Amino acid sequence: MLLQLNNLFKWVNSGGQRIFLLKDINLEVEEGEFISIMGPSGSGKSTLLNVIGMLDAFDEGEYHFLDESVHTLKEKHRANLYKEYIGFVFQSYHLLDELTVKENLEMPLIYKNFKGSERKAMVADMLDRFSIVGKKDLFPSQLSGGQQQLVGIARALISNPKLILADEPTGNLNSKQGEEIMDIFKQLNDDGVTIIQVTHSEKNAEYGSRVINLLDGRMI
Amino acid sequence: MLKNYFKIAWRNLVKNKVYSFINISGLSLGLACAMLIILYVKDEVSYDRFHKDGEHIYRIVSQNFNESGVPDGMNSSTGFLQGPRFTEDIPDIKEYVRIQSTRRDVKIGAEVASLDLFYADPNFFSMFTFPVLSGNPKTCLSEPFSVVISEELALTQFGTTNAVGKTMMFRDNEDFVPYTVTAVSQKSPQNSSIKFDMLLPLHVTEKDLANNFNWFNSFLNTFVSLRPGANVSLVNDKMQDLYLAQTSETAKIIKEQYGNNRLPPKHFLQPFTDMHLNKELPAQNGLTDASNPTFSYILSGIALFILLIACINFVNLTVARSVRRSQEIGIRKVVGGKRKQLVFQFLGESFLLCFFAFAMAILLVQLALPIFNGLANKQLSISFLLDAKLVLGYVTLFVITGLLAGFYPALVLSKYSPVDTLYSRFMLSGKNYLQKSLVVLQFTLASLLIICTFVIYEQFNFLTTQELGYDDTDLVLLQKNNLTPDEFDTFKARLASHGNILNVAGKNAGYWFTVAKVGADKQIDFANETVNQSYIPTLGIQLKEGRNFSEDHPSDATQSVLVNESFVKEAGWKDPIGQTVDFWYNDEKYNVIGVVKDYHYESLGLTIRPQLFTMKPSYDLGMLYVKIAPGSATSSIANIEKVFRDMFPFDPYSYHFLEDQNYQSYEAEAKWKQIMLFSAILTIFISCIGLFGLSVLSAEKRTKEIGIRKVLGASINNVVAILSKDFIKLVLVALLISIPVAWAIAHKWLENYPYRIQLGWQVFGIASLLVILIALSTISFQSIRAAVANPSDALKAQ
Ligand SMILES: Nc1ncnc2c1ncn2[C@@H]1O[C@H](COP(=O)(O)OP(=O)(O)O)[C@@H](O)[C@H]1O
Ligand SMILES: [Mg+2]
Repeated sequence: MLLQLNNLFKWVNSGGQRIFLLKDINLEVEEGEFISIMGPSGSGKSTLLNVIGMLDAFDEGEYHFLDESVHTLKEKHRANLYKEYIGFVFQSYHLLDELTVKENLEMPLIYKNFKGSERKAMVADMLDRFSIVGKKDLFPSQLSGGQQQLVGIARALISNPKLILADEPTGNLNSKQGEEIMDIFKQLNDDGVTIIQVTHSEKNAEYGSRVINLLDGRMI
Repeated sequence: MLKNYFKIAWRNLVKNKVYSFINISGLSLGLACAMLIILYVKDEVSYDRFHKDGEHIYRIVSQNFNESGVPDGMNSSTGFLQGPRFTEDIPDIKEYVRIQSTRRDVKIGAEVASLDLFYADPNFFSMFTFPVLSGNPKTCLSEPFSVVISEELALTQFGTTNAVGKTMMFRDNEDFVPYTVTAVSQKSPQNSSIKFDMLLPLHVTEKDLANNFNWFNSFLNTFVSLRPGANVSLVNDKMQDLYLAQTSETAKIIKEQYGNNRLPPKHFLQPFTDMHLNKELPAQNGLTDASNPTFSYILSGIALFILLIACINFVNLTVARSVRRSQEIGIRKVVGGKRKQLVFQFLGESFLLCFFAFAMAILLVQLALPIFNGLANKQLSISFLLDAKLVLGYVTLFVITGLLAGFYPALVLSKYSPVDTLYSRFMLSGKNYLQKSLVVLQFTLASLLIICTFVIYEQFNFLTTQELGYDDTDLVLLQKNNLTPDEFDTFKARLASHGNILNVAGKNAGYWFTVAKVGADKQIDFANETVNQSYIPTLGIQLKEGRNFSEDHPSDATQSVLVNESFVKEAGWKDPIGQTVDFWYNDEKYNVIGVVKDYHYESLGLTIRPQLFTMKPSYDLGMLYVKIAPGSATSSIANIEKVFRDMFPFDPYSYHFLEDQNYQSYEAEAKWKQIMLFSAILTIFISCIGLFGLSVLSAEKRTKEIGIRKVLGASINNVVAILSKDFIKLVLVALLISIPVAWAIAHKWLENYPYRIQLGWQVFGIASLLVILIALSTISFQSIRAAVANPSDALKAQ
């Protein structure tokens, strides 16, 4: 089992009132699964994804990732954990405008202290795999949305994560570009990478093996 | 990793040109100022430290006391006796050197020039380290009629530095006598209080050396060098004991004869290196460059201001850009960047900026050095920068600036959680008090300097245009030592034959302050002037009552005086005409025949002091005042020169216009005026480019809002007003703070001047208006650009 959430709650206090963003979430994810999270806007999908990705804290409940109890871990440990095992893909790509495609791909490796030669090899490998070798020296603003998302996925994959978290990865793309991205996810999943995606599209959800529906922070 | 930081930093610099320009130009200006000031301060504290035995050299000085034993001023000069007598009886004193400053007439070709020089004891070159180029430093001052000259003088005088053995003609009364050049010395260093072009052996007669009255005349500098390990306070005590013992007899006589009841002065040693920056015991009496440490403090303060303002720009602009930067930080954190790494990245960027600013600053220093030297009255050179300690100082400055400028953004921005920034939940707090207070601080400092500049300008203008109580226009001033009344009459008569010469008057050279009795037991201090009868009309001095000296009253020369109003007031006379002034110490009594209106015979920096005029023929006149017709300067000056050279071929000829001389007495003020102007311009400039940057970023952030407002019908004026309002509010707050502070400072400064401007609201009003206008035009430049932009573009971009 990759991860497990038990009776997980998240809330914010606003004007003396407790507003629940996530309510009593219980979820088990096995390695190799492809899960789609669906639900109306504001239902807590991104929040859940961020909690799973350890970018966001929660207030009550338990979270086990591999053999670690995330809720008891110190910030630093938690950071090391997601750095090692988790890759993120965003709706709006979130590439760094000041860096070229190649440099954007290289950045996570720098933070993970890979050597220069290793980095070069890994970046070349990724560029090859996504057929964007010709674009390696371009800046994000010179790419189409689909190409940017490709780079975003490549960046998430470059350090070989076990789990990819994708928040509406096709939200900003046309249907053809979206399809390409979903094909890539399918392929990755077949290679053994666990994927959790947030999506609004039934069609995209069909790529996955399981759908989780959220409403007002609660799983239904 | 480091390479990546640099790459990002570089790209950020290039991509945000406005931002980089503002930061680099602001910081480099700030750094350049700081560098110049460091140079200046370094030079100030390096004064007189180049002498080999410097730490053992002291100057003999004394503290004066009044009748009741209250300290009453310091005396930095000594007489003939202190040096030899103290050295003789106090073993810890190794040797002494007396330096007396004077001016002698020297013949150069057919011309005669008055040159400054020192009389010095023969061991001058063994106590002080002044390299001698040729000649023997040990013996060059031993023989009478020897002269040591500087290489510069040797070049002008003989056209070569190889001048040992050549002769120079010095005036001795009516004749010129030859002196032999015995040594040529290197030019005195810039940071030396003793600067000389010529040294002559100091000659003191046996009679003078034995005369204990000479303890009471002080007119030269006596330096002593102590043996290593000597205890200074013990030497002080011994000197005082000796002084009291040797003066006990003469002090009694002086007390009886002159009614002097002052307690004896206390002698002590002042370290040689302490002299340059000591306000009470400055380098004077021929020693040069005495400097007020306040000057260093104020300059340092201004440099700090400017640097601070530049750093504030850095912080403010970085914070203002943080919405954009926070996205980057979010992404970096998500892909695994640690906070520490991000802090380093930001510091790296700030250091890179600082590096460029530093390079620019060095360039600026090079460019500004000549102007700065003029202002600071120094000859600093950029090579001063290549000093190990100084380089260390600059590196420290670099690191501090880099940290200061980069730390805040690095710490604050790296704190945000990626979830907040990436999902745009993050809002730069709308209030943003830090940025606002920093802008207020900048403009407070800038307005402060601007108001002070206005005040200094006004006061300077007042000092130089104020009615002096006499007419200093078209007055030519000539120096002629020992002019007899007969010579004066001839001179005047010969000049009178030329048209355009309206009047000629004579006065003793300089000012001589003395005392006399003005009542049964009332004695006052005053300036005792010897003039002839044309002095009052030539200068256009107003008579208040009585009459001027006159040829019709031959007894005027021996029995009459004129006094000024201050004299009457000080004397307490109700009816001044006919009163007696009693010079009891030489048995002379005079009657007051007239009172002149007070006029500013000294600078306006001094209150008009009591002044008395006699026409005593036994006193020599030393200065000639020639009133010429307006517009006749060229021909009149030529005529004056002809007559002067003809009559006095062996006297140096030089002339000044009194008006110019008066103007020059405000040199210090003129300098401050310029310094303040420069700093005010710099601070307001740096503050404004910062404001400009903020307005660019704010307009960027509000593009959408502006678009919507315009679609809904807002005019360009409306939009400009909306964008400018917030910033102008800050400038107004800054003015509110700076005006009272500036008022207090200006008030305090003006108190130094007995004659000064009234601090009216106009100064503050005009300065404030100026600040507001400058700020407004800075902001509106950007606001107008945003306001006239096509709204559909703005909305599309979102
Ligand atoms: N830190 C927070 N403070 C207050 N409200 C929040 C915070 N984070 C999320 N929310 C709110 O919680 C709800 C769920 O947000 P989100 O998970 O982004 O929804 P979804 O991704 O399903 O559209 C939204 O109404 C959002 O405004
Ligand atoms: Mg969402």
